[in-house]
Amino acid sequence: MVRVSAACLLAVLAVTAGAGAEPPAAVSRAEGRLLNRSVPDIPLRLADGRTVALSSLWQDKPLLVTFFYAQCHGICTPFLAWVRDAVRDIGGLGSDYRVLALSFDDTDGAADLRAQAEALDVGGNPDWLFATADREAIARITNALDFWYRLDPATGQYDHPALLAAVDDGRVMRAVLGSPGAAGRFRELARELRGRYIAAYTLPNQVLWRCFSFDPATGRLAMDWGLVILGVPAFTAATLTFGLFRRGPRRG
Amino acid sequence: MHTTQSNTYPGTVGAAEAVAPAREVAAAETQSTIFLWMLTTVALFVILALLGIYMRLTQGGALVGLRSWFYPMMTLHGVGMAGLWFVGSMACACEALRKHVRASSAVAVFALAGTVVGVVLLLVSVFLGRFAAGWYFLYPLPLLGEWPAWSAATFLTSLTVLGATWLIWSLDVLRAVAERYSLSNALGWHYLRGETEPAVPPAVIIVTVSMIANVVALVSGVIVLVLFYFELLTGRPSDALLMKNLTFLFGHTLVNLAMYLALAVVYDALPVYAGRPWKANKIVAISWNSVLLIVLLAYFHHLYMDFVQPGALQYIGQVASYAASLPAAIVTIFGALLLVYHAPMRWSLPAVLFFLGLLGWAVGGIGAVIDSTIVANVRLHNTLWVPAHFHTYMLAGFAIIGGYFYHCGRQSAKADISEPIGRYQAVLLSWILAGAVGFLAMFYWAGAYSVPRRYSGYPIELAHGTTYALWAGIFASIFLLAAVLCLIDVMGSWRKQAPVRADDRLGAPSPIGAPAAARAEE
Repeated sequence: MVRVSAACLLAVLAVTAGAGAEPPAAVSRAEGRLLNRSVPDIPLRLADGRTVALSSLWQDKPLLVTFFYAQCHGICTPFLAWVRDAVRDIGGLGSDYRVLALSFDDTDGAADLRAQAEALDVGGNPDWLFATADREAIARITNALDFWYRLDPATGQYDHPALLAAVDDGRVMRAVLGSPGAAGRFRELARELRGRYIAAYTLPNQVLWRCFSFDPATGRLAMDWGLVILGVPAFTAATLTFGLFRRGPRRG
Repeated sequence: MHTTQSNTYPGTVGAAEAVAPAREVAAAETQSTIFLWMLTTVALFVILALLGIYMRLTQGGALVGLRSWFYPMMTLHGVGMAGLWFVGSMACACEALRKHVRASSAVAVFALAGTVVGVVLLLVSVFLGRFAAGWYFLYPLPLLGEWPAWSAATFLTSLTVLGATWLIWSLDVLRAVAERYSLSNALGWHYLRGETEPAVPPAVIIVTVSMIANVVALVSGVIVLVLFYFELLTGRPSDALLMKNLTFLFGHTLVNLAMYLALAVVYDALPVYAGRPWKANKIVAISWNSVLLIVLLAYFHHLYMDFVQPGALQYIGQVASYAASLPAAIVTIFGALLLVYHAPMRWSLPAVLFFLGLLGWAVGGIGAVIDSTIVANVRLHNTLWVPAHFHTYMLAGFAIIGGYFYHCGRQSAKADISEPIGRYQAVLLSWILAGAVGFLAMFYWAGAYSVPRRYSGYPIELAHGTTYALWAGIFASIFLLAAVLCLIDVMGSWRKQAPVRADDRLGAPSPIGAPAAARAEE
């Protein structure tokens, strides 16, 4: 009885573990802190010369916000290129969301912004917006999103991280912080922008025995080892109970 | 007025033998620890209740200077009361079972000693280490708080000691049942087949069901603790969803079983006062076997707010929460009502406390069913409605435990257990009831008006919460004062007593209409 039960358990373990898709990357603590954060409504200067309120960009559809500056020799262009490629790969630009690349260098002019758009081959796309703002407004939005930058006088370059924040109705619904990442992370974010709710774990490292894995490619949840562990107490109790009662009542 | 005494059940009117079989198992061979459990339970109950009053008064703005202790005390009060309720019920159920099965005396003493060691470790972690992760130590809070790492380790060690002790205790009770009954009989399955023999006391069925579920709960607790230790040692985090499921499979099930074990005591002892047997039958067997399956799924209602939990489990949680409360509650409460209906009932203190316990169970159960309804839970889950319903349950459980301690004391002192409730006791019970109703009503009202739980103080937007808390503190103080006097009376029941003066008895018509003894003589 016990052997059969153990064999069944092992079979279930093997099947469910195999069913587990590639787990989504963990949301870091820094990303987790941004969730539901309120984004200030600042005035923007767009590459085409118009001045608009940031809130006008998220009124009808969610907005992907990323930061850059035109003279960057570091991560800005590769990160923007990753966003561009991911948007092309996943789709939905214009229908589900639009993208705002916001320069945090208030000396960037409209020509710099247009040049950056052209370099990325998205110039003229109405759903790819390049903009900057005055120094005080930039400070407000970067503070709100924990985005830091400091000028290195020796090189004239800014040190800064890379951030992509999905903003819906003025609040951050998901953020990706760091260097260009796997397309899976962008897929999760894009699905959120389309109204799906995707489980997010704010744990920094590889998690031990998840209950479920989410496959961003298919949008499906798959059972994982954690669910099997959840069955262990009942299995143990059944085994111990049958073991204790196996001999039957003592006669006499 | 006086009633015939039986060798086995003093104070019963000839019906003792029908009520329950004489001690088929030589009770002398198993050491009773019920007296020590009573002392432990009473002492801890008073201390932990004082902490509860401190919390409500702090929320009420009366003890603002001590507010920094709110969360450590919330942790101690919660873990302590839940654990105390469980061990109190377990000790009483084991005492009730001594008539039928032979559990190990050594394990019984070990259970008491292990519980005391666990409590000491808990006190150290909270008072010296200011550990404050709350009573269900939800992952990963114990590892992330501002308290020192050693206090979290001490807290987890405390739970390990308690969990291991109670697991051994539960397995020994199951072993003792297995020596006397087959699994089929112990679970009453022969009643389902239409057989009536062997007659298995309902308490045996309930305790067997509870112990099996208890092993599930405690093994869940063991896994949670192992995962905590693993993270402490390796830094490898656990899955928060898995940890929360395991934590509530442990905690929610354990407190449910605390109530069920107390009910086993009612099944065992109430017939003594009713002068009628309360036998197991097909209905009792069906209801308690269904509880075994359902109680393990009801905890899902604690995860309604967890968006990562699959929706299907949430619906299972709602259905299981309804189903877990209905069979056992309906069968037990109606069974108890039928037991006393037209019976030569003797409304002594234990009988009254047992009925108050059942009443509290019903009231708390309604509160729980409302809270377990998903659309209501969205509004109520993080409000004081939740502590409202589980405090109702818990007070009900402690009423039964207190009644059983008194019952055991009177039996131990070979006193007349049929003695009706005295005037002094009736007055105390009235104050206890008034205090408890007021204290619980403040919780329910505050919950209905969306006052959040786990706030040490309320902001101006929630000023009404302050008023409720202050009144709750006052009512709880009245409750505790009367309860302490009543518990002194309960402990006094173990002494050989002088005959009670006739004028100190209510003597007059009992709550169901006629003097008990007179009806007994009929």
